[in-house]
Amino acid sequence: MTPHPPALQIQQVHVALGGTAVLRGVTLSVRRGELVALIGPNGSGKTTLLRAILGLQSIDSGEIQILGAPISPSTLARVGYVPQKLELDRGFGLSVREFLALRLPETRHWLWQSHRKIDAALAPSVEELGVMPLLNRPVSRLSGGQLQRVLIAWSLLRKPELLLLDEPTAGVDTPGERSFYELIESVHRRHQMTIILVSHDLSMVFRHAQWVFALNGVVCCQGTPEDIIRNDSLKEAYGLHLTPYHHHHSGEVSHVH
Amino acid sequence: MFTEAYMLRALMASVLLGPVCGLLGVFVTARRLAFFSDTVAHSALAGVAIGLWLGASDPTPAMLAVSIGVASLLLWLRQRTELLTDTILALLLSTSVALGVVIFSQLKGYRGEMERYLFGDILSVSPMDLLTASIISVGVTVLILVWFNALTLITTHEDLAHVTGIPVRWINLGFTLALTLVVTLAIRLVGIILVTSLLVVPAATARNIACNLRQQTVIAWLLGLGSALGGVVASYSFNLPCGPTIVLVCAALFVASLALQKVVRPSGHTPAR
Ligand SMILES: Nc1ncnc2c1ncn2[C@@H]1O[C@H](COP(=O)(O)OP(=O)(O)OP(=O)(O)O)[C@@H](O)[C@H]1O
Ligand SMILES: [Mg+2]
Repeated sequence: MTPHPPALQIQQVHVALGGTAVLRGVTLSVRRGELVALIGPNGSGKTTLLRAILGLQSIDSGEIQILGAPISPSTLARVGYVPQKLELDRGFGLSVREFLALRLPETRHWLWQSHRKIDAALAPSVEELGVMPLLNRPVSRLSGGQLQRVLIAWSLLRKPELLLLDEPTAGVDTPGERSFYELIESVHRRHQMTIILVSHDLSMVFRHAQWVFALNGVVCCQGTPEDIIRNDSLKEAYGLHLTPYHHHHSGEVSHVH
Repeated sequence: MFTEAYMLRALMASVLLGPVCGLLGVFVTARRLAFFSDTVAHSALAGVAIGLWLGASDPTPAMLAVSIGVASLLLWLRQRTELLTDTILALLLSTSVALGVVIFSQLKGYRGEMERYLFGDILSVSPMDLLTASIISVGVTVLILVWFNALTLITTHEDLAHVTGIPVRWINLGFTLALTLVVTLAIRLVGIILVTSLLVVPAATARNIACNLRQQTVIAWLLGLGSALGGVVASYSFNLPCGPTIVLVCAALFVASLALQKVVRPSGHTPAR
């Protein structure tokens, strides 16, 4: 085994759902410590690919290696996953403190532990994300942006080496989105972890990601954000309804539908 | 006051089943399983009818068997078809009630029997029922406490639970079985038509005044105990039908919780809309 296998290696992965080939031979490799974006139009298989990486979706053929090993409970223990939203009902009284306590071995018995003890266990990993003031709030009543912070805090509690986020800013307003991406970048910098981000927001992706994969059943192009913008295959992936352009002074990129 | 043996049995049944219903109710409400529990309860009517028809002196085994059968049928139909769970439940509920009523109509000498199951009857708790209830309620309570973190996470996000290494399928199956058993046993006390409220109302009342899941769980447990016990005592004292009395106690406590909500969580996290 090489000392530093890639954070994620995917070889010729095929997945068919309900008779349609959704993933048709996806091959990609993510280096350790990179902040990578996965883009693609609706229905291009981004969520399916993420679910396959997490072992939630079985693959018909191909190979997936996480941190140099096949998917197993012990490799998944080194992976963090931030879903887009929770399925939580308002009738469920779960507080942020209780939700976070579920994640740590030392607060496994939170039902019988004092708040002070739980908070002491949570604080080191959670404080930097600004989640401490939210601890008493019911999870079901958080705003989109607050929930995203809590979900990231939840995955960081186990110090993952690879963090997967599925459309983290859907339903978050523009200022919230900006501060969210800044948060992700600072987490990335501080913890030196590999982050894979699924997103529709190309301007944010191009600003913050170090490497971009464009997916449309297969990886149709990849490269640094600058390469991707120049490359025509992105238009191909999005079915030609996309016109990325530069704001010359800021380097900002937008897209027009 | 309560020296009659049947009354002692009814009191013990309420102490055994009320709290575990409250506990289960926390997850039943959060996971929208109220209609499921209603269906399982109604399918027990077919169970009773089949049991009596087969000449069993105690219909409890037949009730449990049919309820578990209907619960499995639901899981199977949900996998086999594209139908919504709601639709499948409505289908199973009406079919089993129809089957129960038709069989009852063919049985001789059981005219009044059906009502005892529909609305509950404190006279109907047998010593054998009590034994079954103690085993199942202790077993289910232990199961819920052992699985508490897993159930909480599954309720929050199933995929997240899966990725965390929780055996989601097994725990869902175990929870469904536990719920089926408890609902079927509680029918003796509360009756088929009203049993779901013993699951749903204490948990909902608890949600009104609790600030977190720990409080909601403890309060729902206590309210389940209080309403079942209070209902049985009131039903005996005022000669009222047992099930409806228990449900009215639950409902009264719910109304009280709405008033208390303002005191307990004055600025709190009351719904904005
Ligand atoms: N269970 C399923 N059965 C059949 N087809 C499915 C199933 N789940 C997803 N699909 C199809 O697979 C394709 C890929 O879906 P996927 O959710 O991976 O796309 P996506 O890139 O995440 O899209 P979006 O940007 O809308 O989130 C879609 O065409 C979808 O209709
Ligand atoms: Mg998606």
